[in-house]
Amino acid sequence: MSHIDPVLTKEKAIDTVTPVKSSRRRIVTALAGVSATVFLTGCATNAPQDTFVPKGPNAKIIDDLNMIVFPIAGVVGVIVLALATYIFMKFRDKGQAIPAQSHGKPYVEITLTIVPALILTVVGVFTFRGIFDLAETKDTELIINVTGQQWWWEYDYPVQADQGISQPIISSGQLVIPVGTKVLLRETSRDVIHSYWIPALNGKKDAVPGRIHLLRLEADEPGIYAGQCTEFCGLSHANMRMEAVALSKEDFAKWVAGQQKAYTAPAAGTLAAEGETTFINQCSRCHQVNGIKDANGKPIISAPDENVYSGAAPNLSHLMSRNTFAGAMFDLVNEECRADVWNAKSEEFGAKYLAGVSEDCLNEKDLRAWLRNAPAMKPMYADPSNLEKSNGLYRGMPNLGLTEDDIDKLVAYLLTLK
Amino acid sequence: MFTPGSKYFLGLTGLSLVSAVLYTIFVNPSDIGAVALFGLLLAGALVAGFSLFTRDGDAETEAEAVEAAAYAPTPSFWPIVFALGAAVVLLGVATHPIVFVLGIAVLVGGGVEWTIQDWAERASADAEFNDLVRHRAIGALDYPGLAAVGLGVIAYFFSRIMLAASKDGASVIFIVVATAIMVFAFLVATKPTLRGKSVALVVTAGALLLAVAGVATAISGERSELVEYAEADHYSKTHRECGEEEGKYYDHEANNTVSLRSAVLATVFVEDGKIRAQMIGLEKDVDTITVPRSNATNILFRNLDEEDHRLVVNLGKAVNDETGKEEELGTCTQLAGKNQEQVLTLNIKKPSSEEQGYSFTVPGAEGEIKVVVP
Ligand code: HEC
Ligand SMILES: [Cu+2]
Repeated sequence: MSHIDPVLTKEKAIDTVTPVKSSRRRIVTALAGVSATVFLTGCATNAPQDTFVPKGPNAKIIDDLNMIVFPIAGVVGVIVLALATYIFMKFRDKGQAIPAQSHGKPYVEITLTIVPALILTVVGVFTFRGIFDLAETKDTELIINVTGQQWWWEYDYPVQADQGISQPIISSGQLVIPVGTKVLLRETSRDVIHSYWIPALNGKKDAVPGRIHLLRLEADEPGIYAGQCTEFCGLSHANMRMEAVALSKEDFAKWVAGQQKAYTAPAAGTLAAEGETTFINQCSRCHQVNGIKDANGKPIISAPDENVYSGAAPNLSHLMSRNTFAGAMFDLVNEECRADVWNAKSEEFGAKYLAGVSEDCLNEKDLRAWLRNAPAMKPMYADPSNLEKSNGLYRGMPNLGLTEDDIDKLVAYLLTLK
Repeated sequence: MFTPGSKYFLGLTGLSLVSAVLYTIFVNPSDIGAVALFGLLLAGALVAGFSLFTRDGDAETEAEAVEAAAYAPTPSFWPIVFALGAAVVLLGVATHPIVFVLGIAVLVGGGVEWTIQDWAERASADAEFNDLVRHRAIGALDYPGLAAVGLGVIAYFFSRIMLAASKDGASVIFIVVATAIMVFAFLVATKPTLRGKSVALVVTAGALLLAVAGVATAISGERSELVEYAEADHYSKTHRECGEEEGKYYDHEANNTVSLRSAVLATVFVEDGKIRAQMIGLEKDVDTITVPRSNATNILFRNLDEEDHRLVVNLGKAVNDETGKEEELGTCTQLAGKNQEQVLTLNIKKPSSEEQGYSFTVPGAEGEIKVVVP
């Protein structure tokens, strides 16, 4: 120790003092930054998952409850914090003697019991009313099975004659519902727990394997309402998104008709026809396209249960009738067309959505990238060298090593799936 | 330098070294013999080392001898129990898991007793006090252990009696025994004069009765219908009986209450000889149930009629790989009596189609419910 240069030591000492100052400053700056961000995000105009903008009666029930509870909690919070601050400042240790200690003051105790009890009663009454209103299922008009799996949602519409559904409809990513209709989702999961949440339409509800949980949805106006899985479900949880698309009743009927349309194979000799062959060879083992037939005219039944961990892969029969893909993570339409649909006026929205994805509107870049190497686009456990761990089953879609030629054909084919 | 004991073990070590080397060279370096010889080498060397280090446990001076004698442990049979346990464990490995578990119990019991005895002997210089400490320490383990064994024996004997008695007889026995215990306890509690010998007498008599009846019924076996019921094995592959019930007991012993409520996709009813269905969340009858593909789905069956019924799901036909014949696929619930319930859990991997239609039916009732898998 003796041979340390005294100058150096001094410099070191100075050095250790400065960070203290600057770290305090840094904390203040960070706090200011965080609060500014929080404050400013409150004003974001493009916030499709804002919980304070209800777009349907169920979300309205929650919002109404918020309108009662939030001010009460706010006032109570401010009073408590103010009182606490006042007490901290006034009675802080200034070296004064400890004051006389006494125990029990009935009138203070009784007041401090009764006042919160009254406040809680008010909050409780409205909360319970809200809970029961949200749990009401007697007046359901349309039911939809919603099944979560890593990392996308499947929707299947049971046969319901009064909604014009004579054959089951199956779709993924985008839930399509008629406006002003009491829709009941029956949620479950094929693997781990997920949670379905469209903030503009209702609160969240967990999708638990082996159980069926009910969630009501109803939208007042046509439009697209964004949501997100809200129960951590593994690697791509953050990319497990969904959208609810509300259509006017007439448009919904058209959508139903479109989904029940029979399959038409692409005309022989076209690029799309070649794509169909590629699809049968590469994709049919996981993805079902209803009505697709092999060269002998035998219907092809996919076997996702033998290839995918959850036992399911999106049904692609009407892929191009949706605007998004891969758990609503990517747009199936390009930016221009997307803006056109999202910003459409309520009356025009339905027609624009029902037009589906045309060749001009297709977001070819992302779709091609997905077909080229899906796990590079969305983190998934789809590495074939790791299959032993998952019993030979993929979680998500693997990289199939397709050539650009294959991809050209497949895109042409997929475009025919409307 | 070399004590007599260590010489023996050193010799053993040298011998096993030589044999191990020879064995490895001439016989086989990688089989069990080499392992055994090297094991012997290590064990011999270890013991030889110990004996050298402790000079065979001989004392060098008188003082040392006196001091050593002061700590000499009293004779104990726990080491023998412990060794017996080890032997039984080995025997269990070779014969039956029960023997193994028994051996473990003996091993642990002997080990604990031995440890505590050893510890208590050194607690103080006062032998009487040491005895007290030992009792206290062991009591905290002994009594709960004995109580657990006692309860286990009672439960075992009692269950044998209940399984051998007829169904109604078992109910009667249960009520009578419970009442007797209650009355007896009440008497003892209210009349302190009764306590003492008479209580001991009654308890002993009760225990004897239980033991005799328990052993007798354990030997005579369970009542006949339980035996037949187990033999029928409803869930075996060969037993696919979804029509009229042939077995005499199995289905009639079914537990007809279902606690499952929030996980049911649809409920199928039989009422007035007709089948009808309702889906969760939709309060009207449906004639088609849509079941998600590749996911376990529960269907509740409720029989509202007098006769027994069962729910059958028909899952099309497939060629059996073994027989090469086309077979009907499907499964069914057990029988449910009036107002009783059964549940069916389905996991349908393949979508339904016009060629391959799925349905629910109830033998003996009219109609069917279509099952659609998208
Ligand atoms: C091993 C099974 C498997 C194979 C083979 C496979 N996929 Fe996929 N695919 C999936 C899974 C699983 C998803 C869902 C991934 C997600 O969103 O997290 C998916 C998603 C998709 C999607 C998005 C669908 C939607 O609605 O979100 C498209 C499009 C797609 N695959 C096309 C293809 C094409 C074309 C092929 C053949 C070249 C193919 N897939 C081969 C498993 C597979
Ligand atoms: Cu999720």
